[in-house]
Amino acid sequence: MPLGTLDRSPPPFFKQGPTPLTKLLFFGALSLLLMVADVRWGVTQPMRSALSVVLYPVQWLAQRPVVVADKTGDFLQDRETAQRNEQLARTQLLAQAARAGQVDQLTLENQQLRSLLALRERSGITAQAAQVLYDAADPYTRKMILDKGSLQGIQAGAPVMDDAGVLGQVTRVYPLVSELTLITNREHSVPVLNTRTGVRGVAFGEASGAPLLELRYLASNADVEVGDVLSTSGVDGVFPPGMPVAKVVKVERRSESVFARILCEPLARVQAAQHVMVVDPVGAEWPQRPPAERVAPPSRKGGPR
Amino acid sequence: MIMPRGQQLLLPANPLFIATSLTLALLLNMLQNMGLFGNAAGVPDFLALVLLFWTVHQPFRVSLGWAFFFGLITDVHEVALLGQHALSYTVMAYLATLIHRRLLWFRGPSQALQVLPLFLVAHALSWTARLLTGNSFPGAWALLAPLLEAALWPVVSVLLLAPQRRAPNPDENRPL
Repeated sequence: MPLGTLDRSPPPFFKQGPTPLTKLLFFGALSLLLMVADVRWGVTQPMRSALSVVLYPVQWLAQRPVVVADKTGDFLQDRETAQRNEQLARTQLLAQAARAGQVDQLTLENQQLRSLLALRERSGITAQAAQVLYDAADPYTRKMILDKGSLQGIQAGAPVMDDAGVLGQVTRVYPLVSELTLITNREHSVPVLNTRTGVRGVAFGEASGAPLLELRYLASNADVEVGDVLSTSGVDGVFPPGMPVAKVVKVERRSESVFARILCEPLARVQAAQHVMVVDPVGAEWPQRPPAERVAPPSRKGGPR
Repeated sequence: MIMPRGQQLLLPANPLFIATSLTLALLLNMLQNMGLFGNAAGVPDFLALVLLFWTVHQPFRVSLGWAFFFGLITDVHEVALLGQHALSYTVMAYLATLIHRRLLWFRGPSQALQVLPLFLVAHALSWTARLLTGNSFPGAWALLAPLLEAALWPVVSVLLLAPQRRAPNPDENRPL
């Protein structure tokens, strides 16, 4: 039998407020409305921002044990690992130093050639570093939360990269944090360029949820080989051109399909990124897109006007 | 009702303790997400568990309104659909108010069996909401979550009732 409680005041007999069924209908309808507002109308951003500010101290608190564990792990790391990491960093630095020298010279050459040909100057990249707070817990989507928000000047739509390549795009900005949609998210797409052949395409997140990209709408006889590196093409006005995105790992040419099924592996560490660069979108300096001409709907012949 | 001899009486629940336990459950959920399992499906939802516990034990203090609020908070934290957890927690709390008088007559394991359908309904509502908005089912591992939550029910019951089981008049021999 249930344990009785030694309450000091009797439970209310008559003033019980609305019945549970009324409350269920009210709150159920409210949450359905919110879901529709979120998916269809996209008007819930202010509410999300307000709640995220309320939630931030709790998140900060929940983060502490993780931070302490990370720091302890770093502290207790053995000497060999540290030496190996340093070796690795040095070899990477050497490889990059050789390229950096070339890049300086090529940039100068490019600048002179462009001024000769009177082309627009290539816009420089401005970026700021951010840290990944946590992976979004929603098992249906591939998103991450970054520790900088609109107060630090993060803009919605800004591309994000780590040391190896493009990681994704900022999709929602809150005052203190921002939400990063990874390129492997099934609703995300990046315009890319095959660096071997120069063919442009669009890479989408893999639909099954594996951390892969799919290069869609390339004809089944297109020149794509395993090992080709894809970089951003820059035609979208969001991603700066030339950022490495992915490497082709599998090409399936099926006779029954017009398009080849091309799977690519992202070069960025989409599973375990920690420090990232948020790049300002490049499109702001572009010339205005010409306004779309409004085509008058054809009047039906003989119909009443 | 005549109390049988030897039957223990519980102290009244402290509202501060209720609030703290709910916040701790939220923290625990966040910790699982941030440090341990990432976005794996099938991780038990401690917040749902603690909410259900208080809805069953203190229906006048914690009920559908708080379930809705904590659902919204979870939605914002998890970057899920806004209203997804709010709906599932609200429905779960409503079902809990339907069974709360009967449930407490049973012992721990049989209580766990009876709350299992509630957790299943809550998760099924989440899955349905996501399927309707075009996401795919997160996999068979997702079914583990309601089972784990039901299995944790007796443990949580003992832990959260412990402060109410203290002696009403502590003395030298019974400090707690």
